[in-house]
Amino acid sequence: MLAGLTLFQFYPVVVAAVQSFQSFNPFTGATEGFDGLANYQALFSDPAFLAALRNTIIYIALTIAVEIPLALFLAQLINSRLPASGLLRITVIATLAASETVAVLVWNRLYDPTHGLFNSVLHLVGIGAQPFLISSVQALPSIVVMAAWKNVGLAVLIFLAGLQNVPPDLHEAASLDGAGPGRRCRSITWPFLRRYAVVSLFVSTVAATRVFTPVMLMTQGGPENGTTNLTYYTYQQAFQFSQYGVADAATVCLIAILSVVTLIQALALRDRE
Amino acid sequence: MSYSELAPSRRSFLRGLAGVGGTAALAPILAACASAGGPGSAPAATASKGPGPGGYKIDLGGYQGPELTTKPVALRFMRQSYSPEVNDFFNGLYAKFTAAYPNITIKEELVPYGDLPTKVTLYVASGDAPDVMMGRNDFTPAYAYGKIALPLNGYFTTAFVSDIYAPLVTAASAGGNLYCMPWDNNVEVMLFNRDLFTKAKVATPPETIDGDWTIEHMLDIMKALAKNLNTPASGLWALASSTAGNGGPGSNYTQHESFFVRMMGDPKAATSSDDYKTWAGVSTDGLSVSGCVDADGAIAGMTNYQTFFSAGLTPKGVVPDQLTAGTAALSMDSFSVANLYSTAAGKPKFNWGVAPMPKGRSLFECNASDSPIVWSGTKNPNEAVALVAYLCNDANRIGFARKWGSVPARTSLITQMTEYHGAKQQLAVALANSSSPSPRTPGWFDYFNAMNPVVKNIALGAGPASTLHAAAQQIDTLLAKYK
Repeated sequence: MLAGLTLFQFYPVVVAAVQSFQSFNPFTGATEGFDGLANYQALFSDPAFLAALRNTIIYIALTIAVEIPLALFLAQLINSRLPASGLLRITVIATLAASETVAVLVWNRLYDPTHGLFNSVLHLVGIGAQPFLISSVQALPSIVVMAAWKNVGLAVLIFLAGLQNVPPDLHEAASLDGAGPGRRCRSITWPFLRRYAVVSLFVSTVAATRVFTPVMLMTQGGPENGTTNLTYYTYQQAFQFSQYGVADAATVCLIAILSVVTLIQALALRDRE
Repeated sequence: MSYSELAPSRRSFLRGLAGVGGTAALAPILAACASAGGPGSAPAATASKGPGPGGYKIDLGGYQGPELTTKPVALRFMRQSYSPEVNDFFNGLYAKFTAAYPNITIKEELVPYGDLPTKVTLYVASGDAPDVMMGRNDFTPAYAYGKIALPLNGYFTTAFVSDIYAPLVTAASAGGNLYCMPWDNNVEVMLFNRDLFTKAKVATPPETIDGDWTIEHMLDIMKALAKNLNTPASGLWALASSTAGNGGPGSNYTQHESFFVRMMGDPKAATSSDDYKTWAGVSTDGLSVSGCVDADGAIAGMTNYQTFFSAGLTPKGVVPDQLTAGTAALSMDSFSVANLYSTAAGKPKFNWGVAPMPKGRSLFECNASDSPIVWSGTKNPNEAVALVAYLCNDANRIGFARKWGSVPARTSLITQMTEYHGAKQQLAVALANSSSPSPRTPGWFDYFNAMNPVVKNIALGAGPASTLHAAAQQIDTLLAKYK
């Protein structure tokens, strides 16, 4: 296992870090020697990188703000064993299992500003047509919504596992003692869910950081770099502009940001008992 | 070796391609880039001569290289996936080739068209590229500068090369060497729905190359169509959404949006002029675009292009096949669509016509077209070139053109194909004869990848001048690695 981790996890990161200080032949991809901090200088002086950095952080924040509460809500619904809970469980898992590319293509049509279903519905309720993916303001949230629809299922399953581990007699006892739903949630449910929340948060954060397919197929990073994130920026540098050293430097930055964000999350949610 | 040393001197270019007429528009570039004895200015060492046409086991077209080996050889050919009918056509061709040369097997790799340039780059970087790869003539400077493609000089007879449309040969050549084999002739035209024009009581565009058809006329016509057809509320549009690449604005700068920029330039103007730089799109050494991408003419061109969207003349999103569906009056398309419409199976439900692209300061037609390359690292150069030559012989090219609908790259094939005697097809021929290559730079892949999102931003409302200035700076930075 250690050999596998080293080969497929640590080794690529080390290679990327080393290559981020090198220059490359744009045709053969062969290294041409040590280049100091040139790649990092190019990176931090590129407005597109700074936009990607900003968008990545915004995307993480929006994804967590949308997905986690939604996942918790859906998990509670499924756990409460209401008549439609089974159908809801199937729906949530089905979206998770669906092909991401197919989902993106379908949502692309739904978001179409002229012929899309969303604007047709908005028109019916008297709201004007929205630009969605062709607006530098709306494009990123539009992708967040689509990704949340697609990926919330994993967080739902994690929270569901946590909810099903809460002993039901604790809730009964608390009710008998006069504790309301809010107090029961804070004092009984949440302590059991804390560890599951950490896992959900981590999974959602990683997924939000590495989102690529929706950006590639829906917006190609636009409009005006409004949806370019670090992953898409790295792809552009490597595969569209043959700037391999800059791509490696962007990868190092991505890993650094992800590490900092997940560390902050872990510290904030650590079990103080 | 610097890129500028690859730019051909007039003498070396004509020596390497004897008998081929160059285009007058490129004369300034050729003269300005004269290189006395530089590494790339002389034709590469040519292959030893073989029996020549008719002397091989199968018709290898214009091939005149050595007879093929008798040792077992496995040739790899990477190309885009066509329709199942065309893919089957190729399988039939391979079977005939292998029947003539049983020791040679052909292994094909099919790739989505948009992924081809990236796949070529990755394969070359891997050091294990297919023997033959479908390239494009707009990447010729990169093939030359990066030593990616095998020069084909000497492998083909002068007569064969002379038969290829001269602008295509120019586009496929650098430093006096032919680096890719013109496969077909991509001719962009304006297709239109006559019935919608009649319904809107708007005059149709002229259908000849010398008609009075300018970008201003096109805008006026589209506005009249939009008004009289009550677009888009009626579900109709004046101009169809682009279906190139991913579709919508900014999906294929090379074969679509660049037209609206470069038509605002003039290849006959002085090389220091804004008009010339707008047309050229890049400096004469191929390493800088400031003053070209953001020339006044380019800004004017993109301002016109922005009007398509700001005036509601074309959708801002992706809407497939609007012309064929009868929901758009005009569509910028490859002439292969016209060829499809001319068949019984592909005939649309409306009366249709073909017009050239409108003129700006000049009539611009870009000839960026598919052109297979032989990898410079192939272990079987003669066999790889022979395969290309076989696929490009008369019968196979005509067969492919009839199945796929593309315009052949050689003039004698046009003469043999009676379907090209019609007025619409003759327009395509005239446009092919007046076409120009994409901006000549080894960084063309960087260039158009940077321009695609720029064009989309402009379509969606970004200021053309500021956006193009920023794009020029970005592309200059990208091209610096080729210096």
